[in-house]
Amino acid sequence: MSLLGSLVRKVRRSRRVKLTLLLAPPLAFLAIWFYAPFIITGLYSLDMITRAREIVFTPSLKYYERILGWRSGLTIMLRSLYFGALTTAICLLISYPLAYYISFKVKKHKDVLIVLFIIPFWVSFLLRTYAFMTLLDERSFINNILLSLGLIQQPLQLLYTDVAVITVMVYDYMLFMVLPLYANLEKLDKSLLEASSTLGAGPVSTFFRVTLPLSMPGILAGSLLVFIPAVGEFVVPALVGGPNNFMIGNLIYQIFLGARHWWIGSALSILFIAMILVLAIIYLKKVGSVGPSF
Amino acid sequence: MYSVELDNIVKRFGNVAAVDNVSLKIRENEFFSLLGPSGCGKTTTLRIIAGLEEPDSGVVRLHGQDVTDVPTHKRNIGMVFQHLALFPHMNVFENVAFGLKMRKVPKNEIKDRVKAILEVVDLSGMEARRINQLSGGQQQRVALARALVTEPSVLLLDEPLGALDLKIRQHMMVELKNIQRRVGTTFIYVTHDQTEAMTMSDRIAIMKDGRLQQVGTPTEVYFKPMSAFVASFIGEAINLIRGRIQDGILTTQDLGQPILVNHGENSSEAYLAVRPEIISIDNELEGLDNILDGIVRDVIFKGSYIEYRVEVGPRVFVVHQHSRALMQRNFTVGERVKIGWRRNEGAIIPSSGV
Repeated sequence: MSLLGSLVRKVRRSRRVKLTLLLAPPLAFLAIWFYAPFIITGLYSLDMITRAREIVFTPSLKYYERILGWRSGLTIMLRSLYFGALTTAICLLISYPLAYYISFKVKKHKDVLIVLFIIPFWVSFLLRTYAFMTLLDERSFINNILLSLGLIQQPLQLLYTDVAVITVMVYDYMLFMVLPLYANLEKLDKSLLEASSTLGAGPVSTFFRVTLPLSMPGILAGSLLVFIPAVGEFVVPALVGGPNNFMIGNLIYQIFLGARHWWIGSALSILFIAMILVLAIIYLKKVGSVGPSF
Repeated sequence: MYSVELDNIVKRFGNVAAVDNVSLKIRENEFFSLLGPSGCGKTTTLRIIAGLEEPDSGVVRLHGQDVTDVPTHKRNIGMVFQHLALFPHMNVFENVAFGLKMRKVPKNEIKDRVKAILEVVDLSGMEARRINQLSGGQQQRVALARALVTEPSVLLLDEPLGALDLKIRQHMMVELKNIQRRVGTTFIYVTHDQTEAMTMSDRIAIMKDGRLQQVGTPTEVYFKPMSAFVASFIGEAINLIRGRIQDGILTTQDLGQPILVNHGENSSEAYLAVRPEIISIDNELEGLDNILDGIVRDVIFKGSYIEYRVEVGPRVFVVHQHSRALMQRNFTVGERVKIGWRRNEGAIIPSSGV
């Protein structure tokens, strides 16, 4: 009894033991479902797992070399980065005024407006994307209206284009931009803007010298939250994109499940993760240094 | 010419008149305080002068010029905010230089002027510090330097010392007054703390429920309050005797004897206000116009003075005596004493102030 008691007391007192107990379940979960597969992917990419599923300790970069010499693969990779960046930029341009307006200009029922904005996102991502397909279709009401107004003679080809992929991605990911921006702007001390005006700064100067730099943390958080999933997007280009709007996610999917070449697929995945990591670090360093250092 | 003039300013928030027909004339280079309890409209008045709040009616003039419709950034004012509102993404230099940059002052001149003003507020060499590396008192002085460096015609201060602890606050009070003398600018200072207002101001405006109660020098509002509110709001304690005044004599039911007051208007209802330190206390008193018999009910030692509560009939008078008197004589609870004062030492609050 006293042995058990002293053990319990020890556990209670030691912060490290408490922390370990607290972190054990999420760590175990991640270890099994994320870190282990990630390591296995890494091993595949270095050609350390054979067709017989045996581990060999002779790493080789030959699959990376093959990818780097593969033009269309690189094109798709660059296109993904471009689509991701464009989606992020458009999300930011649309979301900032929205978040700014709700945070600064709306006096009452801000939460209602935010909830109104969130409601569409209660619907599953896949359903929203499907719903958008019917809007972009050749026989959609958009085309019908344009046709009946005589603005166009032929129905517009909206589906299976770059525009469709970007539009749907912006629609799908906007929430992740609006919420961090709004949270950031809400925290911003409004008396700073008043201080700026008493110092002789007009509304435009105040925006660029005070509001914008102080909302950098929100812009950073929102951009990463949009860019990272958008760049690896797989569903949207598969549903509303055509063969020319292929993104990296689709390519990896095809290599793994179509060509069943796990080695190339793994090398491509790892390479892509590394690229995003580098870009994210550069972005945080460049843009992050503009913002406040708290 | 006046530095700031307010003509019949009214500002409503919903059904509440935050500022109710306020007119003020503030002189050049004056240290002027707006004093009152929270919610009295003093901050709103200040914000109207700054242009951060638009009055529903009335006129704001700065140096004789109507600026009622001029936006804040074109008014050439300086302001120190309650929570300072220093820019957290800029260092001390950038904070102070902000106003000069907005005015497109050449770079070299900005450097010189920032350096000079930082000397005035005793922060030389701190240019590169970040705001969160400064103590409360230092942040205070950065805010002051930032507001002063553009040489505004008026400096508005909204309870800037509220967040500081007592010692630094007392230090900053003296400091602020000195800085004001050195830079020679009109300061308009909002506070709910009468000590701050008394210590620094040339004149004080006392507000209550959006209305001006009295405007005067610290000694005027202290010794000659014009309303019962001002009398009890200012100072630690005051003895108010309500009664009827006829030919320099106040009669009241509370006291068995008439009280002699200054000759002036007759009034069926008025207050006589007597500060506790005006009243003498002893076993025998002579040569005073009003002498009352009483019994000591409480003796409270407050350091530099002693507070006696003396019962006279149904009333209790508060009497303050300098602690030095303790060396000679102190009175004990239950002791019979006389209290007294001269007729011209009390202030009569007219019936309009009752």
